[in-house]
Amino acid sequence: MNRKDFFKKAGATAAGGVILPYILPSGRLFARTNSAKAEYVINVMFAGGVRQQESVMGRYLDDSQGVSGAAGNIMPNLFKGGFPSKKIVFGTDPAAGTRGSEPIPRILSSSFEETGTVFKEMQAASAGHFVGLNSLITGNPGYSQGLKVRPKYPTIFEYLRKHAGFKATDCWFICNTLGNSYPLLNSSNNPDYGLQYGGNMLVAPYTFSGVGREILANAKPYSTAELSPMYFMKNFLDESFGLPADKMSSIKNTEEERTQIKEFIRSIFQRQTSGQIVAPPVTDNGDAVNVSYAAEVLRYFKPKFLTLNLGAVDGCHSNFTGYLRSLHRADHAIGWLWNYIQNSIPEMSGKTIMIVAPECGRNLVPNPILDENDWYAFDHSDANAMRVWGTMVGKNVPNLSIGSESNKVGRLTDIVPTIADIFGIYDDVMASPYIDPMAKSLYQRM
Amino acid sequence: MNMRNLYVNNTLIALLLFTIFVGCKKEKQVVFGVNKQVLYEDKAKKTKRKSDAEYISILYTNLYQTPISPSQLYKTQNILFSIGDRNVATELVLSNYFNTTGLKIPPNTVMRSNVDSFIESSYKRFFLRYPSEGEKTFFRNYINNNPSITVELVYTSFSTADEYQYY
Repeated sequence: MNRKDFFKKAGATAAGGVILPYILPSGRLFARTNSAKAEYVINVMFAGGVRQQESVMGRYLDDSQGVSGAAGNIMPNLFKGGFPSKKIVFGTDPAAGTRGSEPIPRILSSSFEETGTVFKEMQAASAGHFVGLNSLITGNPGYSQGLKVRPKYPTIFEYLRKHAGFKATDCWFICNTLGNSYPLLNSSNNPDYGLQYGGNMLVAPYTFSGVGREILANAKPYSTAELSPMYFMKNFLDESFGLPADKMSSIKNTEEERTQIKEFIRSIFQRQTSGQIVAPPVTDNGDAVNVSYAAEVLRYFKPKFLTLNLGAVDGCHSNFTGYLRSLHRADHAIGWLWNYIQNSIPEMSGKTIMIVAPECGRNLVPNPILDENDWYAFDHSDANAMRVWGTMVGKNVPNLSIGSESNKVGRLTDIVPTIADIFGIYDDVMASPYIDPMAKSLYQRM
Repeated sequence: MNMRNLYVNNTLIALLLFTIFVGCKKEKQVVFGVNKQVLYEDKAKKTKRKSDAEYISILYTNLYQTPISPSQLYKTQNILFSIGDRNVATELVLSNYFNTTGLKIPPNTVMRSNVDSFIESSYKRFFLRYPSEGEKTFFRNYINNNPSITVELVYTSFSTADEYQYY
């Protein structure tokens, strides 16, 4: 090799060494198509079906049960406005007196509405839960989405992993139930994306239940180094078998990430034993438990993106009082989570945006079922069930109130483009043929 | 009876006796059969994925040599479903199994005393087939060169391997 060849090859090798580590799974050299707006995003699917009237409109019993003078805000951490002054049943139970008559004190010094942006009247994709959740997580209405199957269109997890190069443990879905296909929302089965780009998922209330403890808690603690030979042999066996990518049945973490997740699960059982699980002050329903484990995931992994879903308000099909209690508690839990991020996770404090939106609304007209207070219940199938709100708060989010009952602004399919916008991959995601053509970043609707 | 008739009769009797003696033979005892052969799977033909219930049942029976109870199966199935990365879930469940008594697995000394036999039996136990020469060589070298390899690690790698998810 002469001197000229040597310099040529050495130069090429050095250039390759610099460039190769930055080639993204999408094949691009650079992820960012616009400047990022924040380092972390929490996406809260405030699900179960929430009526505008008892939430963002602050009408309480005025618009649902015909009790005049009973308007008021029962979601003080998200929206501004005082509690109702009469017939309070949504709070905690006093030692003596009416059940639920003590409202849970507001956790945040200022509500989301006072510090961030509220879209007061948005368009839901559907009056149903699963399509609604799909629209929140795929940016596509997904009208032909079947049950018991993964989403047809790529999820935000896949967009982030493919276009922004996020690791699997950068993306989490904390699911509240094993039922209703919800645990399948961490990845689509889309051939252009799919499980190889899926996010991590935990049905936390089940994984960390008594059953989970029985089946998982006795696992031996292994370090990455101790497990390395096992992974080496497994990789050999897998290479030998040669399973094609389209036959994958699970998302993939690296060996190091797998060990980290196992250590996390083990640590949760230990923290349960020692009473160290962080939780909102009032943790008396499934939503609060799910939020509590979402906080544990945030504390441990500090993921760039986490989605969690709630669902207790769906009890409104048969129990309106229970619905009010769940709505109040969901607000409490989300307020607590935002507060926890700001005060107890320094890496995320001041660098995070939280987006909150229900997946669908509920009916204008009640069904005939009466609850303990003789109040009517509500299903979700009419035009009122297509009305929802959305709010976002955090780093560089302006304080705005957008839209009104007579002026609909924004769609639930905007949430995915908004998250893409925050992480700087907006153009990449919008160029995908799978996004609702009517959707756009909520920043562009401000 | 004239001479001609006598001749015909004798000929017929002779023919009859000839037919009896030549035509009737003792039947031979013939037994048809095939050599006993144990059949093993071919990895290339494993195209159907086991369901979660099948996977857990087969794994449990393999390790404990006793069937799993329906309630335990149901609970384990749900736990696997509750964790997004199935490999993580399976490794945790396995690690839990390996921390219990009652497992029917060979001790490490048996593996070390005859590595070739251990490899072959592991392939038969988990994949229902014989290892290829390449596979045998890989495991032989890897086990012999790494004193930290235990039966538990080998069995975990087989139990979580893609091939074990298929039949």
